[in-house]
Amino acid sequence: MVEFRNVSVTYANGVDALYNVNLVINDGDFAFVVGPSGAGKSTMIKLLLKEISPTSGEVIVNGYKLTKLPKRKIPSLRRTIGFVFQDFRLIPSMTVYENIAFVLRVIDSPRRYIKKRVKYVISLVGLEDKADAFPDELSGGEKQRCAIARALVNDPDLIIADEPTGNIDPELSYEIVELLKSINDCGTTILMVTHEHDLVRHFGGRIININKGEVTFDNVISGDAVSEAANIMNDINSGSTQVVYDEDYKAEQYESYSGDVYDETDNRFVPDNEGGDY
Amino acid sequence: MKLSGVQYLAGQGIENIWKNRMMSFASFCVLLVSILMVGLASLFYINITSMIGSVAGKNEVIVYIEDGATSEDEAALKTQLEKIGNMTEISFYSKDQAFEDLKKSMSDYEVLFDSLGNDNPLIDSYRIKIADIDQMDNTVAQIQKLDFVSNVRAPYDFVNILIQLRRIITIIALAVIAALCIVSVIIISNTTKASVFARREEIMIMKYVGATNAFIRIPFFVEGMITGFMAGLVALILTWLSYDSTVDLLTNQVDILNIIGVGSIISFRQIIVPVALCYLFAGALVGALGSTISTRKHLNV
Repeated sequence: MVEFRNVSVTYANGVDALYNVNLVINDGDFAFVVGPSGAGKSTMIKLLLKEISPTSGEVIVNGYKLTKLPKRKIPSLRRTIGFVFQDFRLIPSMTVYENIAFVLRVIDSPRRYIKKRVKYVISLVGLEDKADAFPDELSGGEKQRCAIARALVNDPDLIIADEPTGNIDPELSYEIVELLKSINDCGTTILMVTHEHDLVRHFGGRIININKGEVTFDNVISGDAVSEAANIMNDINSGSTQVVYDEDYKAEQYESYSGDVYDETDNRFVPDNEGGDY
Repeated sequence: MKLSGVQYLAGQGIENIWKNRMMSFASFCVLLVSILMVGLASLFYINITSMIGSVAGKNEVIVYIEDGATSEDEAALKTQLEKIGNMTEISFYSKDQAFEDLKKSMSDYEVLFDSLGNDNPLIDSYRIKIADIDQMDNTVAQIQKLDFVSNVRAPYDFVNILIQLRRIITIIALAVIAALCIVSVIIISNTTKASVFARREEIMIMKYVGATNAFIRIPFFVEGMITGFMAGLVALILTWLSYDSTVDLLTNQVDILNIIGVGSIISFRQIIVPVALCYLFAGALVGALGSTISTRKHLNV
């Protein structure tokens, strides 16, 4: 679960990257984040990664209050999130297998579990033949599938995909999003930043538009209502930005963490009925 | 952390040496040259001071004994001298012996001694070799306070020159060694920085998937330590070979030996254990710290 509460980010050079953003992404959601370049999408991702801190407001990711999170806790936060980047970010000196296994080695998983689990996720993304290949020897689509396998090997609560289809062939883009969708079907929350409106129109779902640092559109469009989605996307793009807020949907979103207990020592919310850490 | 985790990280460190062999080789060479420069300069300094020491060992303090002291008094004086310490050698030089020696050295003027007949104007003395010439003043002062000591003659000029010479050499040597150390540190840190910089993306990715700083650093530490250790080992072998051939060259030259004194050159076997420890430890330490510290800048993501 991701929550932005009145989040503003102003960079040192005076640029307002985000202005008073309120946003909740519930567990199990699949949300597209769209918007023109420089709208603040990257800033949002950086906030979620705790690469930067907001100038004001509160960001909560998987129960971690990021503004209060001390540096040494950042690794624990990142272990609950899977990342997929436009430029793949695979370690060039490691094979596909080692790249994926690294995530589990970081958390000191038992060797036998690593072997079993990595084999399993490799088969999920269909890279069985390439397990011992190095990233240089893979095509763009294969690299991204490897990155997705790495993102999900640790069974994260949330996967953030930053333009995952940006560097690969359009035909393969659908394949990548299908893959993310199927991961989402198993209950993992997915936040996908993208430029490609075709993809958004095709798949539908929750669409969050960011423009000039503000959320200008946030609604669910079912994949069936393709034409409706297309119209809205066109509206957004043509500049006649009609902010359409679905009040019921927003109310539902703001159920928030009211029932949970904030654990000061662990710097995260822990549901009353749960023990906490994985 | 489990044993398997430690094994993995150490294994990564060793693997990385091969994976980044060009950069590892560069680090290795830089460390090797640095250790060699500092090591050879230090060994040269140690030998120079040893030579000065052997020259200083030839000093002679003469303790004249009061006329009329009995042989028991003289024996008592000797035990007291021994108590003062800081002497490598105490020898008795009787007045008869002194008289004979004097006659011999002035054989051309034998006539002069005829008038003296058997009347010996000289006095008994102890000839002392001081161990630590820096403490000579102190020792001489103590000797002067003893009973039956009439006069003490110490080679102040000789000792002062030696002390001065040693001081100058020490200052020059330390300055050279310090300069070499600073140059080495700069070159080593630049090399390791370049080597780590080439892998900054790898470090960044590791941070993104939730690796702690220690997890990323341990392979770098192991890698640097092994590279440094190997550099130290090769430097040790090269030092040994060049040292021994230099010693051979010097000891074959009788003229040079006469000046610097036999035994003042330290043989490598005598110092191999401390030298080996210094080389290997310095190599491993500098290598490990160099690459670990260089990662710091890139860990901040």
